[in-house]
Amino acid sequence: MIRGLRYFVSEAFLSLWRGRRSSVLSTLTITIALFMLGLFLLLGANLERVVDEWGRSAEFSVYLRDDAAPSEREAIQRELAQDGSIAAVESVSKEAALERFRRDFPELAQATAGAPDNPFPASFEARLQSSGVDVGALATLAARIGAMPGVADVRYDRRWLDRLASLSAFVRYAGFVLAGVLVLAAGLTVTNVVRLALYARRDEVEIMELVGAPMTFIRGPFVCEGIIQGGIGGALALVALRVALELAKSRLAGMAGVMFEVQSLSFVPGASIALLLGGGMLVGCLGGLVAARRLR
Amino acid sequence: MIVIEGLSKLYARDVFALDDITLSVGRGEFAFLTGASGAGKTTLFRILLRQELATLGRVIVDGRDLATLSPREVQRYRRTVGFVFQDFKLIQRKTVFENVIFALRILGVPDVQQRRRTFQVLKWVGLQHRANAYPIELSGGEQQRVAIARALVNEPVLVLADEPTGNLDPDLSLDIMNLFREINAAGTTVLVATHDRELVRHVGRRAIMLDRGRVVESA
Repeated sequence: MIRGLRYFVSEAFLSLWRGRRSSVLSTLTITIALFMLGLFLLLGANLERVVDEWGRSAEFSVYLRDDAAPSEREAIQRELAQDGSIAAVESVSKEAALERFRRDFPELAQATAGAPDNPFPASFEARLQSSGVDVGALATLAARIGAMPGVADVRYDRRWLDRLASLSAFVRYAGFVLAGVLVLAAGLTVTNVVRLALYARRDEVEIMELVGAPMTFIRGPFVCEGIIQGGIGGALALVALRVALELAKSRLAGMAGVMFEVQSLSFVPGASIALLLGGGMLVGCLGGLVAARRLR
Repeated sequence: MIVIEGLSKLYARDVFALDDITLSVGRGEFAFLTGASGAGKTTLFRILLRQELATLGRVIVDGRDLATLSPREVQRYRRTVGFVFQDFKLIQRKTVFENVIFALRILGVPDVQQRRRTFQVLKWVGLQHRANAYPIELSGGEQQRVAIARALVNEPVLVLADEPTGNLDPDLSLDIMNLFREINAAGTTVLVATHDRELVRHVGRRAIMLDRGRVVESA
């Protein structure tokens, strides 16, 4: 078994070396395909994290009608407090809201001085949980609270959170589609490169068949050749991704600081690293198998 | 060892490469298959090596009906047959030693035995001193000896040689024939295809003559 594997690997490396030009080409094709996949995974993961962070710091305010009955207020407060996304609820009275406005915007304070009534509504300001907040669940909560009696309006930074969430989903799906096409192209390239190797060694294959070599013994080195190309392609893609991330961090530093902390951009998670490496080897393996399948 | 009954091979409509051949070669026999180019010798060898199937008739080798073998059984069958071709069929990127040991490797024989047996056969064909040479560094006669060593290394019951002396001069041809005689003397059935009537006469064994796909003489 181990002797067989050693034979496959040594034959595969020898063949890769002898056809190094085409081997480099197919390995690079896999690298590009997996780099694109990795790039989208990286963007998706970071966007998701930003959405999550912003979602957590987003305000969720429920404005009350002036004629809201105390029982209605209590029901609203209870509904908010019971929700899993909400960490704490603060009640802000009409007076407190006016006071806060005057404090935050002193230059506009005069405008409110002459008003006969206090124009600010009472509200409940909710603080969101520090983790596990789902933007979709917040939208449902907002709709539910908004329909309750005594509620004038529900405000939370929904629009841009929604947009960001759908952007993150779009990036992920578009990435998968594009990467899928590229991975398919990479698989076909590997198939053709292995097929070339097979053609170059057709006499050898015929001799192996004539001495009664088992099919696994004949096909093994070709499949192994595909796996090696895929593995190297995956590893190169990971290195390129890391380099791209570091370059992006140094170039973007100071530019996007207001939006998010550039230095907090993270590399793809372990599962994605395994996906890129394993995916590369799988694509290579399939390419090798398809090419070697014609041997019977 | 070889029993052929009513064998025909049709390549295209009405083009018979082999036409209703019936013959047998006994166990331990040494026989020549002769005939001009295109007589059907190579086609018959391809069928005997199970590279092709007969269109009609039966071919039984060492008790196996070649038409009914599964792919796995074909592999097992081929391990019992040694082959030698005019163009040697050596793997150019492997040394003499590697070319010969290769046939043992697939049998799963332990390493030490593989090496010992390989040295034995290389010594027997007189090439133990060229074990590390590559085929391209050898003369035609030497290359054919390597091919014979590979055919013998796993102790086959049958050796098929298709024009083994086709690329060699007369003296070397006789040397190679002597090797086949020795193989046969050890009990292995040998069937040699050749168009060289002089060689057949010189060796003086049974000759089966083919002409346009038919057996015209078997004595």
